[in-house]
Amino acid sequence: MDTLTALAGQIAQLDTVDPAQLERMRHEALTAQAPWKAEYSAYQSGGWWTTSLMNASGDAADVTIGDCAAQPTDLLTRMPATAALLTELGLNYMWVRLARLEPNAFLWEHRDYDELDQVERHRLHIPLHTNTSAFLVTGGAKVHMTGGRIWRLTPTYAHGVCNLLGPDRIHLIADVYADDTYRRLARRPMLHPGSAEPLPVAGPAVIAERLQAARAMADLGYADAAERMLLRLFYTYALPEGAVYDLIAELHTSLGNEEAVTRWTTAKRRLLALTA
Amino acid sequence: MPTLHLAELTFANRPAQLPLLSRLADILAASPAVTHLLVRGSLAHGTADRLSDVDFVVGVQDADLPAFVGSLDDLMSVEAGALLPGWRDTIVADLGGVGMVFLVPDEGHLHQIDLYVAPASRVPRLRATVATAVLLDREPALAPAEGTAVAERFAAEFLARPRTCAELLIEHLVLAVLLHKRIKRGQRFVAYSEWHRLHTATKDLIKTALVPASRFWGWYQLREEIALTPIGRACLGDLEAAIGGPAVPSAADVDAAVERTLSLVERACPEAMSGLEDAITAYRTYLEQM
Repeated sequence: MDTLTALAGQIAQLDTVDPAQLERMRHEALTAQAPWKAEYSAYQSGGWWTTSLMNASGDAADVTIGDCAAQPTDLLTRMPATAALLTELGLNYMWVRLARLEPNAFLWEHRDYDELDQVERHRLHIPLHTNTSAFLVTGGAKVHMTGGRIWRLTPTYAHGVCNLLGPDRIHLIADVYADDTYRRLARRPMLHPGSAEPLPVAGPAVIAERLQAARAMADLGYADAAERMLLRLFYTYALPEGAVYDLIAELHTSLGNEEAVTRWTTAKRRLLALTA
Repeated sequence: MPTLHLAELTFANRPAQLPLLSRLADILAASPAVTHLLVRGSLAHGTADRLSDVDFVVGVQDADLPAFVGSLDDLMSVEAGALLPGWRDTIVADLGGVGMVFLVPDEGHLHQIDLYVAPASRVPRLRATVATAVLLDREPALAPAEGTAVAERFAAEFLARPRTCAELLIEHLVLAVLLHKRIKRGQRFVAYSEWHRLHTATKDLIKTALVPASRFWGWYQLREEIALTPIGRACLGDLEAAIGGPAVPSAADVDAAVERTLSLVERACPEAMSGLEDAITAYRTYLEQM
């Protein structure tokens, strides 16, 4: 199986969105007085904000995920172009939100757990405001989700998302239950060959140089920055799964910090959902 | 006399750069090698406007100066989200250290961050000559004489090292941000000076790319050395276009100069662009929003 075929199982382009409607939705997303909520978790750097358009409670500030028949929030009622598209798509929504990723923000390499009931559902992205330094990395390739399309993400591989340089990236994300309408929308998933760009492989010299640079930062007292520098290598080079976590452990081994080695070894297992 | 509640008003009128300044100070102060954090310029004097740069003097233990400067690009990229590697500041006065300028996005805008990294042993003298506001003043460990010698040697070598094409490209991009600021403020004399610097950087870029071992100083003998090939003639054509413009540029002139420089780099030294493609795309977007 070639890279593109393998990736198409992870991330695919579905229908197009009318450019004029998309532009109106973009305007709404950039100007609406939304109650953005910061998301915090072990697998991200900060700078990840969400606000709900459809959920169980109808409250835009409620950003908890759960199986439900979602109802529009007060925010969506103030975004008519966005509401019109969601109605037009006619999908069975579980949760619809706006997600904003700030510049220099990262969702570190991880694998999603399937925490909810085993009901078939899918995650759709509609990029509203994006830039070329915002992309998803999986399988050693980066995919920039361009505007104008509905994208489907089913990441079973380890993956990560970044917005390196900005400006803000704003996506509409819809979690939908599978039904006939969804199946019609997803009847011809594809991934345009130009959408995925293989990352260069990092040779031993590159890895050694970056590890040395991290060590220099840690020696100056910037240990957290050194860790983040190594985590960011996932977005620059095609690396074996979990390699960035191993590099951080190696950094702390060289510093004699056994506690940090254990912490990062545990983090790798948790973030990549490894059983052993 | 009634009590007036001015705190809220004062907070609302604080400089827009203050949260960024505070964040950068937290980042830099995390290292025990940093002995001083001083703010200079308009933010220290209370005369800042929304375009003002954030201008720090960072005092570091003398012996740590080479390691600190060596880590600065990574630190500013990872922790502050700097768009590009730092530009070696050739405008700042020599105060015994090295100056670097970074472009950092914050709240949708590009901010100019000046970091003057000085060995701790030079900070007292620097403070006697430059007005600063003190954010951090940590007693440095006793600087051994060899630490001071290490710092002096490093600073001298750092400033003397010839600039690469990538560094000269970054110089253009930083100067263009400075120029947009001058134009917006109506600072015509400073704009004139920086516009000339931009042309000089273009000349230096062409020489570095096409005649790195030039036998001639400055602007002399450019035609004789460079106009020998189609690439050389095209690059000198760009330089002609640059110096044929107005003495004080408009914003459109500055934008045209940036695009001309990027084309020149593509033609004469495309490797200088390697790894900077996304940064340049982002730079263009932020420049539109300035």
